[in-house]
Formats: sequence, structure tokens, C-alpha cells
Amino acid sequence: MLNSTYRFVKRMHIFDISAYLFLMVGGLFLLIKGAEDQGYYWQWFRIPKYLYQIDEGRFIAGPILKGLKITLNLTWISLILTYIIGLVTALMRLSNSLLARGIARVYLEITRNTPLLVQIFFMYFVVAPILDIDRFFAGVLALSLFEGSYASEIYRSGIVAVNKGQWEASYTLGLSTYQNYRYIILPQAIRRILPPLTSQAVSLIKDSSLVSVIAIYEMTMQANEIASETFLVFEIFFTIAAIYLALTITLSQIVAYFEKRYRVVS
Amino acid sequence: MSAKEFGDYIINVDGIGKTFTNGVVALKDFSTNIRRSEVVVLIGPSGSGKSTFLRCLNGLEEIDTGTITIDGIPLDDNKKNRLEIRKEVGMVFQHFNLFPHLTVLRNITLAQMLVRKRTKNDAQDEAMQLLKKVGISDKVDAFPSQLSGGQQQRVAIARALAMKPKVMMFDEATSALDPEMIGEVLEVMKDLAIEGMTMVVVTHEMGFAREVSDWVIFMEDGMKVEEGTADHFFTEPKMDRTKLFLSQIL
Ligand SMILES: Nc1ncnc2c1ncn2[C@@H]1O[C@H](COP(=O)(O)OP(=O)(O)OP(=O)(O)O)[C@@H](O)[C@H]1O
Ligand SMILES: [Mg+2]
Repeated sequence: MLNSTYRFVKRMHIFDISAYLFLMVGGLFLLIKGAEDQGYYWQWFRIPKYLYQIDEGRFIAGPILKGLKITLNLTWISLILTYIIGLVTALMRLSNSLLARGIARVYLEITRNTPLLVQIFFMYFVVAPILDIDRFFAGVLALSLFEGSYASEIYRSGIVAVNKGQWEASYTLGLSTYQNYRYIILPQAIRRILPPLTSQAVSLIKDSSLVSVIAIYEMTMQANEIASETFLVFEIFFTIAAIYLALTITLSQIVAYFEKRYRVVS
Repeated sequence: MSAKEFGDYIINVDGIGKTFTNGVVALKDFSTNIRRSEVVVLIGPSGSGKSTFLRCLNGLEEIDTGTITIDGIPLDDNKKNRLEIRKEVGMVFQHFNLFPHLTVLRNITLAQMLVRKRTKNDAQDEAMQLLKKVGISDKVDAFPSQLSGGQQQRVAIARALAMKPKVMMFDEATSALDPEMIGEVLEVMKDLAIEGMTMVVVTHEMGFAREVSDWVIFMEDGMKVEEGTADHFFTEPKMDRTKLFLSQIL
């Protein structure tokens, strides 16, 4: 009985996968066909040089790879800031200080209720000149403040999910608030929050393309430039879409791994 | 336990009141004084304010009126005083509240090192001695989830004792245990009482109350209804309410 159920489920998988592949291939075919019908002339052979060139045996990164590097830099620097901002905001929201809670509240309301694009412009045209930072860091700041507000909610929910008895036990033993978070609460909360926190990296990679509006030459900006110069619109955007996909799928796999590894048993 | 010597008063509670934000009055004008080495048992129906009383004693809950003084230190807004009281008053909970991500040893050494500033070696020596005392020295490296309820509660007692508190509070320390494990925990508590620890105990174990306590307080609706020695209390209670309660529980 069990065995046959298992086989049935397995067959379902095979069915699912073939249906999926069929759709993908079919979709791709229609797209290419459609473009050709409109007189689009595919020139994939012109793409590699925008990725890289080999000059006298030396590897030279093309604009797309250069853009990728900036995208990655934007992402990891913003990610670290996101984690810090998120944690600090969560602790402020949970603190007894009215002032700290108030500041956190205002920050969250502003970042959540205005479009990211507006925040990026604001950071670039208003904040950057005041703080005297370049466009790259203006972009990093805008991204991490935006994602930080979501991270803070992840931290907060992880922290309040820790049993109240843990707070009481460590209070009774004389631990300070800092020691309590450091040794008791956060180590327990981290199991719950690690998977969603890793997913934030996926959002960051995608959202990082928005900073092209302040002329940061990350991957999307580079693609735009090339496409407008060469009219290889489909090829270029297919290429960078594939690169974004490869990055985010890899990250999602890492999230899935963490989810399995740190599954909360209670 | 008549030959026991008591010292001066270590806990002074004067007219404390506590109303929760939802309007529930948990304590009303409650006063009591407890001497060093005294074992005081609090009994009363569910919701009578026993836990709230214990939690006010170490500042886990704020009192609205009255004063609490522990070993000469007033429990007031002064953070230093509060910390001092948290260090001096140990607490054992119904659901143990061990730290699940730490081993038994680390559960017992953590606060010693962080709060009492003992070296790792000293803290571990202390932990080993206490584990021996509560009869589970073979479980140092286990995690709480690998222990039975009775063992977990004994670790929790060891953890509290490691801080060398002057007062120990027990809030229904055996209520969450399977019947066959209640004895082993009560035994540890009894040993502590014999050693002269000042104890404030909330329990439904009337056998323990009768045998070990020096003073019994019966409370209801946040107020003291009757108090006295265990002898007085169990053999000739005065108030009708007390008699009724005892008849229900014994
Ligand atoms: N955090 C809280 N917020 C609101 N009301 C509370 C809170 N804690 C306790 N109470 C209420 O205060 C009253 C006293 O509760 P307490 O827990 O002190 O009683 P208890 O004597 O320990 O009861 P039990 O034997 O069930 O443990 C009860 O009516 C309870 O519902
Ligand atoms: Mg209670």
C-alpha cells in the first residue's frame, strides 16, 4: 500500500517535471518564433564579447561581467548593513525606551510606505551631498535601509518566539539585557531566522538593479547601455536574466539547506 | 523541625499591592516577614496570587504599592539594588526553563561566570559539586531535552544554587512532573531546608508542607487568609475558608 502510494507520488513528479519542461521549451520556441516573425534577427554570436574577451591569452572582463561584479559588491555590502540595521531596529522596537521605539517606528513607516525608487533618488540627491558619499554608497545605503526594515521584522518575530520562560530564567540569574540577548535569546532565535534572513540576499540581488537609475554601472545599467547602442535587446536581457536567475537560484538552494538543517523542533 | 534556629528577618514585605493592566487585582495589601533559614510555604486556590507574590519578590513583576526589602536592600527603582536582589534570590520554575541550547554544565556555569565573575574552572568545580548533590553528576554534557522532567528540575535547582543565593523560591516545582519523579525533587528541596536555606515555596504537596515548612500561609484573592506553623495549620485551622480548602486538597 505504502509502496504503491510512493510510486504514484514519484510518477507525479515525473509528470510535473515533463510538463514543466514542455512549457518552458514551448514558451521559448514561441518567443523566438515571434521575434523572428517580426523580422528580429538573432545575433547571439555578438554577445560573448560583452561578457569577456581574450586578448593575447589574457582574460578581459566585458561590461556585463564588470556590471556583475558591481552588482555583487552592492549586494554583499548592503546585505551586511541590512543585517545590522535589522537587528538594531528589532532590538530598539523591543526595548523599554520610548525614544528608541519611537525612532524605530518612524524609520519603519517611512521605508515601508514609500517606493524604493523614491528612496534611492532621495538618498542620491538629498542625503549623499550632505554626507559627502559617492553614488555607490548612496545606493548601498538606500538598499540596506529598505531591506533592513524587512530584516527587522524577521529578527523581531524570531526573538519574540523564544519562550518567555527563557527571559525569566536569565533575569532571575542576574544576566544583563545584553548578556541575555547574546547568550540566551539570539542563539535560540537564530534557528528560526536564518532561512528568511538568507532569502533577503535574493531580494537584494533583484532590487540592486534599481540603483541603475542613479547611474551606478551595475549589471542592469550595463545591459541598458549595450542594448541601446547595439539593439541586441533580446539577447542582452536574456543573458542578464539568466545570470540573475543563476545567482538567486543558488541562494535559494542555500536557504533550503538552512531550512532543513535548522528545522525548529519543539 | 522544632529545634531549628532562625536568624533575623531577611525578607520584609509591607503592604504590597499588584493590579495587572487588565484590571485583575492579584495582590492586596499583603505583608509578611521571613527570617533567615525559615521555610515558608504558600498555599491557596488557583489564581489566588501565589506566583505573583513570588515574582514580585525578585522584581519579575512590579508592585504598585507597598515595599519589599531583601537582606536590607530595598527593591526600588535603583538598578543596582535590583541586580543585587536578582543575584541573592534564586528561583525555580514549574517548567524548569533550562536553556535548551546549552549543555547541563553550561546551564550551570554561564551565570556564575557572567554575573558572579568566577573563572571557568571555579564555575565548573561548583557545578560538578552541585550536580553531585542533586544526584545527576553523570549528565554534565547532556542537553536538557535528553533528560527526564525530574532530572531537568534538579539541574534547574543546581543552576539557581550555583549563584549562591541567600533565598530560594520554588513556584510549583513539582507540578509539571510525572508522579514517580516528584519524590526525587522534593528530596533535594528537603535537603536544602535542612541545610538552613531560606525558602519560599508554592506547592500543592501537602506532605512536604507539613513535614518541612516552618510557616504556612494560606491566601485567597491576593490576600492572606490565615497563617501559622504547619502543626497549627493542618491540625487546627481557624478560618472556615481554610478548612474548606484543606478538605478539598487533602
Ligand atoms: N501577566 C498577567 N496579566 C494579567 N493577569 C495576570 C497575569 N499573571 C497573573 N494574572 C492574574 O492574576 C491572578 C493571580 O495569578 P497567579 O498566577 O499569581 O495565581 P496563582 O495563585 O499562582 O495560581 P495557580 O495556582 O493557578 O498558579 C490571576 O487571576 C491571574 O489570572
Ligand atoms: Mg502559580
